Amino acid sequence: MTDHAQAADELVYTRVFAAPRELVFRCMIEPEHLTHFWGPSGVSTPLETIAVDARPGGAFETVMVNDADGSRYPTRAIFIEVTEPERLVWQEPDNGVVTTSTFRDLGGTRTELTIHQANVPAAFRSPEARAGFSTSLDRFAAYVAKLA
Amino acid sequence: MTVAADRLDITFAALADPTRRAIVARLARGDATVNELAAPFAMTLPGISKHLKVLERSGLITRSRHAQFRPCHLERAALEVAASWIEENKKIWTERFDKLDEHLRDIQATTNAASTKGESADD
Repeated sequence: MTDHAQAADELVYTRVFAAPRELVFRCMIEPEHLTHFWGPSGVSTPLETIAVDARPGGAFETVMVNDADGSRYPTRAIFIEVTEPERLVWQEPDNGVVTTSTFRDLGGTRTELTIHQANVPAAFRSPEARAGFSTSLDRFAAYVAKLA
Repeated sequence: MTVAADRLDITFAALADPTRRAIVARLARGDATVNELAAPFAMTLPGISKHLKVLERSGLITRSRHAQFRPCHLERAALEVAASWIEENKKIWTERFDKLDEHLRDIQATTNAASTKGESADD
């Protein structure tokens, strides 16, 4: 996996999958697929907690459940754009983060998926905030340097 | 996921406003009273107070109960929670990609075993 930050308020993650583009796209919007990978390690996303209304204005909701202690973390986003099988854009109303998934057909049933997140996080966006947040910013700069 | 996920949403919501970010940036240089904070903004004291209440609820700032002018103080730990969100976020997507990779291999292996045609590109 290669990943890098393009700007202080953006995060980009890219991975090439050995699967046709249509299939990778469906994995991102169909609960039957999402339940297999949406929760990171140690976290499950039960099928019955996933609701995907893949059209602009539609909701994308999941509940991630911690396998160890059962804590539940609901997530909610609203689709802004759904262009099958190329692009998905959704926004999380709670924190304003906009996530764009781009599916690129590399041929030979290989697909490049790029997750681009903008508006991340608001604290680091404005120049005056950058000037003020010296401690946090140093940590952030070190983190970005690590990604580059 | 962090246990502070709910708190983080409140923090980000508090920081989504440019005036509140400017207030936080000012407080990063040192404590200040409401009057001092209001000075650079074309805003009434009640207007600034409203923003301060949002920041206070988010835990980003605290205000002295005893001092006469109740100076505002930036809670740096709350800001660091926002910074750690980025670290957490990267971990989530990396692990999601790993699991998706595995899932795609699984379902394609199943499909190929069931039919030599493989996964259809169309529904």
